Amino acid sequence: MRLVRDLGRRKLRSTLTITGIMIGIMALVVFGSMANKIDALVKGGSEYYKDKVTVSAKGGTMGLGGVLSTRMVDQIETLDGVDVALASTMMMVSDDASAVSMGIPPMIVGSIAGSDKGRETFKLNYASGRALTPQDEGSNVVVLGSDLSKQLKAKVGGTVTLRGETFQVVGILEPTLTAPDNEAAVPLAAAQQLLIKTLPALIADKLNVNEIATGLVVYPKPGVDPQKVADEIKAAIAGVTPMTGKDFDKQIGAATSVLSAILIGIGLISLLVGGLSVINTMAMSVAERTREIGIKRAIGASRWRIRREIVIESAVIGLIGGLLGLTLGFLITALGNDAGRDSGTILFDLTFGTALSSVTFATILGAVAGFIPAWHASRLDPVAALRYE
Amino acid sequence: MAILEGRNLRKTYRLSRRNTVEALKGVEISIEKGEMVAIMGPSGSGKSTLMHILGLLHAPDPNHGPAPELRLAGEDVAALSDNARTKIRARRMGFVFQDFNLVPTLTALENVTLACDYAGIGGKLGRQAGLEALALVGLEDRANHKPSELSGGEQQRVAIARALVNKPEIILADEPTGNLDSDRSAEVLALLRQFNREHGQTVVLVTHDSEVGEACDRVIRMRDGRIRDYGQRAAATAAAPVIAVPAVAVPA
Repeated sequence: MRLVRDLGRRKLRSTLTITGIMIGIMALVVFGSMANKIDALVKGGSEYYKDKVTVSAKGGTMGLGGVLSTRMVDQIETLDGVDVALASTMMMVSDDASAVSMGIPPMIVGSIAGSDKGRETFKLNYASGRALTPQDEGSNVVVLGSDLSKQLKAKVGGTVTLRGETFQVVGILEPTLTAPDNEAAVPLAAAQQLLIKTLPALIADKLNVNEIATGLVVYPKPGVDPQKVADEIKAAIAGVTPMTGKDFDKQIGAATSVLSAILIGIGLISLLVGGLSVINTMAMSVAERTREIGIKRAIGASRWRIRREIVIESAVIGLIGGLLGLTLGFLITALGNDAGRDSGTILFDLTFGTALSSVTFATILGAVAGFIPAWHASRLDPVAALRYE
Repeated sequence: MAILEGRNLRKTYRLSRRNTVEALKGVEISIEKGEMVAIMGPSGSGKSTLMHILGLLHAPDPNHGPAPELRLAGEDVAALSDNARTKIRARRMGFVFQDFNLVPTLTALENVTLACDYAGIGGKLGRQAGLEALALVGLEDRANHKPSELSGGEQQRVAIARALVNKPEIILADEPTGNLDSDRSAEVLALLRQFNREHGQTVVLVTHDSEVGEACDRVIRMRDGRIRDYGQRAAATAAAPVIAVPAVAVPA
């Protein structure tokens, strides 16, 4: 209570300082949430690619790129270290570049349900409806990721239009915070039909629509290093690029960790400025209260007591700024995600950990910033401080 | 028995590189337990400096002459650490200043309990003691007022309550009546005299006012950093107070 009165005594200055901290924490929360989202995306990808080899046409990556033949599946399955291989066909839901912003654009992914023979370990949960089955081959049905379903305003039992074709929605996934959130899973045959339409007529005419794919997913035998399988595939088949989980981490992980570092760096710099302004406020407040500190010292307050009083006061400034910054950051990320949902871009993931650590950080920052003025105050000579006007 | 004993007390203040002031030039002093002593002298005579040393706010200079001695109830306190001196100030001394020196943001009661807090008496106990001390100075109904809402005399009485709340052995008052008119001065002085008589607290006060001096048991006179006159202890049997103790009236 006393402390709040002390802060209230210097309303303008306390308000400005708290605002400074608030902006810093807000930046940290917003950018941190953005980094969380990227991290979750990358971590999900890393998890997914970890135990398998993904084969793309030469120059492609992650099962995207030029057209491959599904006949390669049999060829690859004859290799030593390979357990199961399957064909998949991926393409963007829309070629419109404006839909592509941060993260992964909405994708259509086609494969025969169950063709992984139980090898896929990446677990998907269904918010409503059901998973695709092998019997779905030949019909236009779709399972939508959480974000994509919101963007398309789709419900199980309804229909959506993907690349000009009408699909019946049979299932919607729970959020995974990674790639499947923005995917439309369809039977392989349906994806092949969509893919062939994207190809130039001259090439399309020469291809058998039932044999085209953009990628192959290869599960090594248990205990076999995916890298060894990748090497085998490279040696056996010309014109393909195999990718392992390590390759994914290298390509994507490195790029995004730099981005995350930049985002968090921006937040930290704004906090540094906030911290300096706490030092300034508390130094001014110590100067103003010189006489009061003299009184307290004279009647028996120890140096430690004086220091504690000032450090706690500045920690409270940090805490208030931190809580306000978190509130503001929460509003910005929530509104940003709401606005982005229609275009399928969910930018922020404000986790409990991010929230807690930003407020804790603000409080500690305040306390540390208060320590210099507190030290100065505790060294004042009580008699001189009493005479101070 | 002497509660405060000092010998070879010197203090030189360095105002700038060349300009130093010798405020105390070797003082010997002894104050008896239960005495009410006034230290008088012109400005710059060293009376405040002496009080700061007796109140352990400053330590006497240890160099340039015979070693200083300072005893509080027989215990050597001349060279204690800042922390040890602070502890003694908190528990065994009470301070009253000329300009009251209350913390402006705290209420009268909070100002008083601050002293309890520093002496290690917190919470309900401190609050209880604070209210009792305010009642002793006749201000229990002003407990929740801020200093700015109190008159000068009332503020000084709050300061006296703060000085008394821990029942210290010694009360040190630096010009306690300097900023008060004569009626309020008499009130404050009467209070100090009352506690000195009733509770046996030793009172040392620095003053310009000879009337205040006359109300004390003894007047020590200083000039140029030295004690010129130790004064005569008034007859211990003096039953009648030198100044009539007025009923402490709360101004309407």
